[in-house]
Amino acid sequence: MTPSLTPSPITPRADALLRLEGISKTFGGVKALNNVSLELQAGRVYHLLGENGSGKSTLIKIIAGAQPPDAGRIIVRGTVYNQLGALEAIRAGIETVYQDLSLFPNLSVAENVALTTQLEASGGRLLRVLDWALIKRIAVAALERVGLPTHAGFLAAPVETLPIAVRQLVAIARGIAARASLVIMDEPTAALTQREVENLLLIISSLREEGVSVLFVSHKLEEVFRIGGSVIVLRDGVKVLDGSLSDYSESKISFVMTGKQLDQTTYRTGQPQSEVLLEVRNLARDATFAGVNFTLHRGEVLGITGLLDSGRNELALALSGVHPATSGEVWLEGQSVQIRNPRDAIKLGLGYVPEDRLTEGLFLTKPIRENIVVTVIDTLLKGIQLNFATMTAKAVQFVKDLQIATPNVDLPVSSLSGGNQQRVMVARWLATKPKVLMLHGPTAGVDVGSKDALYKLVQRLAEGGMGVVIVSDDLPELLMNTDRILVMKKGRIAKEFTTAHLEKDLLTQTLLSEDSSAAQ
Amino acid sequence: MKALWGRVSARPEFITLGLIVLLVLGVSLLEPRFFSPQNLVATIRTTTRLGIFALGVLLVLAAGGIDVSFTAIGVFALYTTTTLTLLFFPAAPFALMLVFSMTLGALMGLLNGFMVWRFAVPSLIVTIGTQYLFTGFLKTFVGTKHIMDIPAAMDSSGTASLLQFSTADGVRVTLPLLFLVLVVAAILTHLLLTRTLMGRAVFAVGGSSAIAGRLGFSVRTVQLFVFGTAGLIAGLGGMVHGSLNRLANPSDLVGTELDVIAAVVLGGARVSGGSGTVLGALLGVVLVVLINNSLILIGVPSTWQKVVIGGVILVASGVFSRRRGA
Repeated sequence: MTPSLTPSPITPRADALLRLEGISKTFGGVKALNNVSLELQAGRVYHLLGENGSGKSTLIKIIAGAQPPDAGRIIVRGTVYNQLGALEAIRAGIETVYQDLSLFPNLSVAENVALTTQLEASGGRLLRVLDWALIKRIAVAALERVGLPTHAGFLAAPVETLPIAVRQLVAIARGIAARASLVIMDEPTAALTQREVENLLLIISSLREEGVSVLFVSHKLEEVFRIGGSVIVLRDGVKVLDGSLSDYSESKISFVMTGKQLDQTTYRTGQPQSEVLLEVRNLARDATFAGVNFTLHRGEVLGITGLLDSGRNELALALSGVHPATSGEVWLEGQSVQIRNPRDAIKLGLGYVPEDRLTEGLFLTKPIRENIVVTVIDTLLKGIQLNFATMTAKAVQFVKDLQIATPNVDLPVSSLSGGNQQRVMVARWLATKPKVLMLHGPTAGVDVGSKDALYKLVQRLAEGGMGVVIVSDDLPELLMNTDRILVMKKGRIAKEFTTAHLEKDLLTQTLLSEDSSAAQ
Repeated sequence: MKALWGRVSARPEFITLGLIVLLVLGVSLLEPRFFSPQNLVATIRTTTRLGIFALGVLLVLAAGGIDVSFTAIGVFALYTTTTLTLLFFPAAPFALMLVFSMTLGALMGLLNGFMVWRFAVPSLIVTIGTQYLFTGFLKTFVGTKHIMDIPAAMDSSGTASLLQFSTADGVRVTLPLLFLVLVVAAILTHLLLTRTLMGRAVFAVGGSSAIAGRLGFSVRTVQLFVFGTAGLIAGLGGMVHGSLNRLANPSDLVGTELDVIAAVVLGGARVSGGSGTVLGALLGVVLVVLINNSLILIGVPSTWQKVVIGGVILVASGVFSRRRGA
């Protein structure tokens, strides 16, 4: 507890909750953070913005005590640290909701939410008897706040048994369980549906009223502006903007983040052709969805949205053969086809880019080349040997076409930023020359610049005659890219919209409407 | 049915219990002698010996590691303690010998923990190394002869009975007092794992040590504690084993690690870490012991016993992995 005596470059304010002075961090010769200074006040919301690879995650890890800075000082309410330990950060009232959630898959919900409060109370000493009653009390209070169940069965459920959106909410519950003075949330809404996002926004405003500060990271600028507060923008490890959100427009912020002027109105360029490419008749799978009918024309971009339990994910998984439909028909180019497994889907020309690229798709530690050609590996055989030269040529072509930022296709996919990983995933499916490309939550966790590139690619593919289906809960994304939008509810298609001139408010309303009436 | 499956799958030790019940029913139909008091006591004796080691194995598995050096630690602690007692303090009380043996075990375990933490080497490799190290050291520097003439206190503790009776055909059956050591050690381990912050930290590190570190748990402390305690338990197990057999043999135990690890895994602990219960581990041991015992009883050749145990492990791991996928 040594109070700061040295004069600092920023005029010290007595009420500063957290001050960073000249923080730098280098990874393998690359400056992830370069002399970043900032100041957070109590009871305010700060938005930390920047493209993937701009240094946001590094900055968060330094504040949360998960990583030491190479240079600079961290001052928490007057106490100066050259680096924070994880426990020190927690004890100083800094709670973090990590992008990867950082939940223990094997431990119960209650423990995940409240175990660290016991650790904090003991000062890190482990030889201590647990107060299970207190753990439960803290967990129940936090779970209630994020709108999760609080019955004994849920409290005791191992986190690995929960769907990803619920895990995200559990991670948020842990962040607010302790009496924190600063809650850092790194992309907490990526896995959440509209309704859950609304609830999170309420939580954030109530935290603010209680005097708790929130450092919020999101790629959805629309959300950022709805929450309001201050904004800090990083670009290439340098702080390029620090001010009040109300002074800036959405396009100005995008410009500062990317250094490019991005057209944010609409991406849709082409027209669907008259020929029906894909037709789904009365498709159903157990209790998840039923009676689903729709058509997709050549060159059309179709959006499918709905809340998390609406069956939209299951429908996408059924069409990709991952969890095949149990009844109904699928017609492709006028032929009735069977999709019993992912291999069928690939053979038929139905490409599927899954929602969670990390667990459902990419081989992170394997080279970019192998990740791209894996879907067509059987065509690259020379006798029983793989034709390495063709593999590389193919991969290099896609890297060029999709502007994947990498010096070398030998590098592992894990060396790429989120947006580039996403493009590797898309490249993999384009390699199969699909007739229909299904993109499931294609821009979750992807920065503005990469979104822009992906949207342009989608339009190019559609103009080339491909049918594209985007399953997403990012409504602006659907409005900017599609011809039609299907809204799913309770396993059925509840409403179909033509995208042109559709108002976002109407779409949101349709999405949420029945929830309020059907009180469960 | 679905609810039942849900409940059972949340508590995998019930599957182990179910297997035990099936086995007991099946064998007792074939061979009524199965329910004889002798057989029961024989089962308890073997369970006592293996069960103590199983507690240490469980602890390491729960923290996401694996320890194959515990048999070497056990035999090292047993043989060294016996040798030193005979040399310097033949009249030493049993409790003192236990404390000495456990301290030796803990020190060896701490070496494992230090290597695992400091050099971030997988614990399987570290403990394969230390297993050779400890047995080699024992046979080079301490001795290679069987000690039949064990210290008096060890002998009397090994033969002391908790319960003694004679059967109708005049066989005297003794339930060893040392069975209580297993009971006490199991209760303490259970309380440690479920009621203390350290216990939950063990599971947290077993779930993901990177996340545990990020959330402020000291991974170093947990590693040292887990391997140190596993060593301590191995030291205890070694002494109990030697006392029950009334023999200190430097070539004993080593080679049986997989039996114990298999038993703990049959009790529902995952080899990948972060799960397992004391009850499950003990049921796993009982299952393995029962399979061995009953197969002998019904006249299955001992070579076939390995086939059966192998089969049970494969079936059980299939069931357990289904529970993860469900």
